[in-house]
Amino acid sequence: MSGSRSKATVLWAIVWFDLILLSLPTIIIFGASFTTGDIVQFPPEGFSLKWYSKLWLLDDFKAAFFRTFYVSLICTAVSIPAGTLAAIALSRYRIRFYTGLQVYLLLPFTIPLVVSGLGMMIFFGEIRILGQLWPVGIGLCIINLPFMIWAVSASVNGLDDQLENAAANCGAPPLQAFLTVTLPGVMPGVITGALLMFILAFNEFLVSLFLTDARIVTLPVSIYNSIRSVITPDLAAVSAVYIIIAFIAVLLLDKLVGLELFLKSK
Amino acid sequence: MKNISPVVELIDVSKRFGKITAVGNVNFSLSKGAVLTILGPSGCGKTTLLRMIAGFESPTTGKIRINGKPVQAVPPYRRSIGMVFQNLALFPHMTAGENIAYPLKMRRFPPQDIPELVERYLGIVRLTGMEDRRIHQLSGGQQQRVAIARALSFNPDLLLLDEPLSALDKKLREEMQLEFRRIQQKIGVTTINVTHDQREALVMSDEIIVMADGVIQQSADPVSLYRQPSNKFVASFIGLTSLMKGTVDQIEGTTVKFNVNTTSLWGQTSSKFHIGESVEGAIRAEQVRVHTEQTRPVGMDNVLDGVVEEQIFEGDRMVYQIRCPALDSAPIFVFDHDPAHNVLHRRGDRVVLSWNIRDLLVYPD
Ligand SMILES: Nc1ncnc2c1ncn2[C@@H]1O[C@H](COP(=O)(O)OP(=O)(O)OP(=O)(O)O)[C@@H](O)[C@H]1O
Ligand SMILES: [Mg+2]
Repeated sequence: MSGSRSKATVLWAIVWFDLILLSLPTIIIFGASFTTGDIVQFPPEGFSLKWYSKLWLLDDFKAAFFRTFYVSLICTAVSIPAGTLAAIALSRYRIRFYTGLQVYLLLPFTIPLVVSGLGMMIFFGEIRILGQLWPVGIGLCIINLPFMIWAVSASVNGLDDQLENAAANCGAPPLQAFLTVTLPGVMPGVITGALLMFILAFNEFLVSLFLTDARIVTLPVSIYNSIRSVITPDLAAVSAVYIIIAFIAVLLLDKLVGLELFLKSK
Repeated sequence: MKNISPVVELIDVSKRFGKITAVGNVNFSLSKGAVLTILGPSGCGKTTLLRMIAGFESPTTGKIRINGKPVQAVPPYRRSIGMVFQNLALFPHMTAGENIAYPLKMRRFPPQDIPELVERYLGIVRLTGMEDRRIHQLSGGQQQRVAIARALSFNPDLLLLDEPLSALDKKLREEMQLEFRRIQQKIGVTTINVTHDQREALVMSDEIIVMADGVIQQSADPVSLYRQPSNKFVASFIGLTSLMKGTVDQIEGTTVKFNVNTTSLWGQTSSKFHIGESVEGAIRAEQVRVHTEQTRPVGMDNVLDGVVEEQIFEGDRMVYQIRCPALDSAPIFVFDHDPAHNVLHRRGDRVVLSWNIRDLLVYPD
């Protein structure tokens, strides 16, 4: 009895320690963003939204924010069909060169981001699309696609492999069967993967650094640039915006898929 | 009137996967409204056979005809076949009603007729009022019924059942067997049912095909199959059967005397034997009588001494497992169908067994 109680106490202590450790930077940044002073400090000096309103007035940041949003949307939009179809094909159909294909699709993981960033910069330069915004979205989609594939694969593997036969038996031609049975079945994975792709693209720094120039910097790059000069609480405010976006993504996930299902990775 | 062709006809159908022959030279045909059960142990090719009929696999050799027409070139979604899968394969993102409506939509039934048909089939499987339930909100037996309704709602020419009852517990399974018979008789749909449960086969079918290793062993109606198994495999697969190996000693028409070690047994056969051939005798548990030393039958053939090795009480009957020193092979199983009144034999008791000549079936070994 007392043994199990002390075990529970220890477990809870560890959980709380981890939670605090993990969320400490977030809390500090979040708190610091409300300061009335001119430097990043915690606890904040007084309380105000002045840095947020200042942020709103900083056209550079605002433009970078919307560019990042646009890039993330493109990345997500491309990754949904690409990742979904790849994941379904990989786990459903007996494909020739299966292992080869799998390695190829998961390759971006094993290559350091510097290398892919540089590679894409050269390639995009060659085909003369460097300096535009949409190729950045494509680039981010390429490096993060394994996340999408993994999210959808988890759903596909949880799906009964007789469902498509059942649909055919009900009179559905292959395309119909795919659209009405397979696709809805993997939807939780697609939604999870799409949100993940969006957040990842929103945060991506290194590859964006290679693919953008001064006219089209994205938010992470823009933050990095301003850190080099001076650290002001407006950066804390930007970080807070990031936290809020990530939080919204998690809320959406919970609404659309159910967090429980996501944590069980279905 | 035009000659009525069978609903399904298989002609020399074989299916090989690499070196494995899953189905070998199967021939059968099924007329309208009949219920056929394919019975056989795990891995004997039952599912493969159904998948070929449904169109998910194509035969390596041989032909399948449905309503007299060859179907090699017909994809599964153009065949008028309803199938209940082994794991049901209900669509998890749809409600019970939507599952039943799905084949109607895919097969382009007039949209205004669909709700009425869904309602009707829900009624037939006794699920009225549950159409808005999600699949995971239904019990195992209810899901079963949804799967049957989905397979029947578009009025298919043929219904295929791939061991759909195997996942259910015994009581529910027996209930569903009777339920299915009721539905089948009401609708009169031609049916092929697959199972490894002999009771289910005997209860549900007009005709039974017993398969082993991809090959048909016997095809007969349930009663003939039980009474006249055509080979050793069928005899031992259906009913509780004891086997004894020996060599032929004497032949008198269809009556054969064979020796097991020094014991002589008399049995019945439909095969032609020669003296000295090795054979196997098969006796059903309900045909063996148990006596005590005091009531030992005199002047009878097939009388053996034994010792009770195990007694299993099943309520409505007692099953004895009896070891006979004269037969060094497997034990003999015996049913006592009136354990409430008959003398009970305990483990270790000495008993005397006897049976009629016509009940001991002799097969080539
Ligand atoms: N796609 C396949 N590739 C290779 N071998 C297969 C394939 N499908 C079935 N087999 C083999 O064919 C044989 C028959 O399989 P099948 O699934 O038809 O058996 P079954 O009678 O339905 O068994 P169970 O009662 O266990 O379901 C088995 O030996 C199996 O291993
Ligand atoms: Mg099977």
